[in-house]
Amino acid sequence: MDAEKLVTGEKTGRGDKTGTGEKITWCPGCANNAILAAVKEALANLEKKGVVELKDVVAVTGIGCHAKIYDYLNANGFYGLHGRVLPTAMGIKLGNPKLTVIGFGGDGDTYAEGIEHFIHACRYNTDFTMLVHNNQTFALTTGQATPTSEQGFKGASTPTGAVEQPLNPIALALVSGATFVARAFALDVPHLTSMIEQAVQHRGFAVIDILEPCLIWHNNNTTQFFRQHTYKLEESDHNVFDINEALRKAREWDYSSNEDAKIPIGVFYKEIRPTYEEQWQAKTWHAIDRKPDWKRILAGFK
Amino acid sequence: MEKVILLGGEAGKGSSKTSAVLGKTLTRMGYYVFNYRDYPSLIRGGHNFNVLKISDKPVYSHDNSFDIIVAFDQITIDLHEKNLKGDGFIIADSRLKGKNVVAVDIESIIKNLNAPEVFGNNILLGALFKSLGLPMSSLAKTLQEEFPKKAGMVESAAKAGYDSVEKKTEMPEVKGNGKYFISGNEAVGSGAVAAGLDIYFAYPMTPATPVLHFLASKQKEYDIIVVQPENEIAVVNASLGANYAGATTMVGTSGGGFALMVEALSLQGMSEVPLVVYLASRPAPSTGVPTYSEQGDLKFAVNAGHGEFPRVVVAPGDAKEAFYRTMEAIYLANKYRSLSIVLADKHLGESNYSFDDFSAPSVKPGRFLMDFKGDYKSYKITKAGVTSRAVPGQGAFVRATSYEHDEYGYTREDAEWRIRMTDKRLAKIGQLENEIKNLDPVSVYGRGDNLIIGWGSTKGAIIDALGGLDGYRFMQVSYIVPFPASEVKREIEKSRNVVLVENSATGMLGDIIAEQTGKMIEKKVLKYDARPFTAQDVINGVEKVK
Repeated sequence: MDAEKLVTGEKTGRGDKTGTGEKITWCPGCANNAILAAVKEALANLEKKGVVELKDVVAVTGIGCHAKIYDYLNANGFYGLHGRVLPTAMGIKLGNPKLTVIGFGGDGDTYAEGIEHFIHACRYNTDFTMLVHNNQTFALTTGQATPTSEQGFKGASTPTGAVEQPLNPIALALVSGATFVARAFALDVPHLTSMIEQAVQHRGFAVIDILEPCLIWHNNNTTQFFRQHTYKLEESDHNVFDINEALRKAREWDYSSNEDAKIPIGVFYKEIRPTYEEQWQAKTWHAIDRKPDWKRILAGFK
Repeated sequence: MEKVILLGGEAGKGSSKTSAVLGKTLTRMGYYVFNYRDYPSLIRGGHNFNVLKISDKPVYSHDNSFDIIVAFDQITIDLHEKNLKGDGFIIADSRLKGKNVVAVDIESIIKNLNAPEVFGNNILLGALFKSLGLPMSSLAKTLQEEFPKKAGMVESAAKAGYDSVEKKTEMPEVKGNGKYFISGNEAVGSGAVAAGLDIYFAYPMTPATPVLHFLASKQKEYDIIVVQPENEIAVVNASLGANYAGATTMVGTSGGGFALMVEALSLQGMSEVPLVVYLASRPAPSTGVPTYSEQGDLKFAVNAGHGEFPRVVVAPGDAKEAFYRTMEAIYLANKYRSLSIVLADKHLGESNYSFDDFSAPSVKPGRFLMDFKGDYKSYKITKAGVTSRAVPGQGAFVRATSYEHDEYGYTREDAEWRIRMTDKRLAKIGQLENEIKNLDPVSVYGRGDNLIIGWGSTKGAIIDALGGLDGYRFMQVSYIVPFPASEVKREIEKSRNVVLVENSATGMLGDIIAEQTGKMIEKKVLKYDARPFTAQDVINGVEKVK
């Protein structure tokens, strides 16, 4: 497949691998376009490597700006409910473990409405990828604070500034047992692409917190802020197999927009652990052409 | 001829298990048994009891006056002795006090056998069997099966109890013809397996939990998986995800858990991904009376979910129907990409019933998947409203969406697509209406100018009451959505007295009948003390309002 064409998403009709032809309705210049490009490129690269077949890829989305990606990715798709991406994705994976499932959520979607699912998804270790479009605000509902908005964030619902302390989803994922935890910056597309490729190839639950500016509703964490304050973990001496080191790195940044912020991006932690679905006693529940025998099923009650 | 036996004791001391063993043994011998279970929401202590009605003719309900009380503790005697029939007797440990007690010296039997104290249950069970004049060998066979690990000791205890008392009463002669003894919840689980279940998703909630336990114990045997996610919201969304991927799944819950699932019911309506929910209701509002029974969720099942979309609500009346109706619910959901709700309650779910036989199911299980060829439209508009399902992985790009959409499933907000897709979804209602005509949506029992109308678990008590009422027949409505309006209207129009019997405070089926047929039912026998109807309750109630 031609990765360039995937990125541009040119209008060539249905069932073609080059894009859906749907009109993109993100704001002009929105970083979600970069995430879309990275996802397309990562999938094209993985298909070239023979790791993934596009026909097996299922994109699951919640509700919010991020979810529009459902219309732009020419793949199988489930445009679900706000906050419920993770259980839906787990269900798809259990329904057919051969599928390559990629969840997309916003920060409000994943860390507010669906936070309970996030903790348990980390614990279960079902084999799928979760990409969180984290712009630190509810954007499609016109700019309210989310759990990762910095203290003091001013929006229509917090005109004098949010007082809540932000949640640190990287630290939460680590203590909850996620086996692949990463952070990326949306506008560093080659780096994000590489993170996505690693996450999809990881056997188990892989989460990437993707930082992105919101041009309309978030004035502090701008493109320039992220460019200045992020650094790559792989360029430091970080050991991705050491959970304590990963936690220390996770705590380097508290999602604030402080002048002295140091924001690590890259893979924080990796672990090989049996996946949820490979631990069931039943082995072929998902592949059976069942011929249930009602008489035999009832015989036990005689 | 029938006998009503109450077995009672503290929670956790085995009165429920003892009742099940007794019911199973008697059913195998050829008797008909109905086993009602009454227990408060606690794990140890308190007072649990079961009522078994045993007959040589079919029985479908319990009773509140007893021929025999088997008391595992003094509270059982103190609470229930007043309902002992004149010639009734109590079987109890010799240390307990009551009238007409057949005393069993449990203490010395336990000492002689060097057995743990909990074996007192089996000693009393043996004594009961002897007092009924039934052979020890029949009881021994069930005990061996039910307690494979400690069969020897259990059997010795039962035998010692058996030998310690005299025969007190006569049981009718029956032929051992291998009847079925099954609870409503076991039948729901079995029906799901018979319909091709791959995965059962549930979060524990009384009284649906026994389905979770039953299917969990059968995972290896049927090559299914039983998944207990973090809450009911995860349960229902995971179920939709798995169904989208091609699996056949079911979820089970009660009112509070169902409330948490409601947003996803509406997602089902828009996405047209099949979804099957077993709703075992209990007395509400809110936590209500968790381990007791009521039919108060009827309108909730019918109306839950924002927006307008088709659904099926089917209410079985006993365990046998629970088996077939669950199969139908799964069949209809898969075939019409729709929502099916199997509506039952604690009384139906946790009571055991005896049946002579089961006939072949009227629906053939299937996933109703299409072989993808060429350009696949997930929401192709067809006359019938139903688009055949493809699943991801076959080559077609399959889309499911909560958003209004075009035929491919791409997001659309314009008026034209909104109307076309709404019409497409609602067109399934007509298809479902046609299909359920072949599935006995309404059943009429007995003869008479007068009519009792009911649904769900009241069926047993109403049928058992018909013999005690003059000129009444009974119409059971099994499909609530789509509603079989013309059949219901016809039956009402040809009846003199029409009485609604419902285990609720307002008689919700009456409102649905009024909405669907224009017929108002003025006479209602309602029971909302969190306890199910007995036949006598139905007779007394009908006599009062007629």
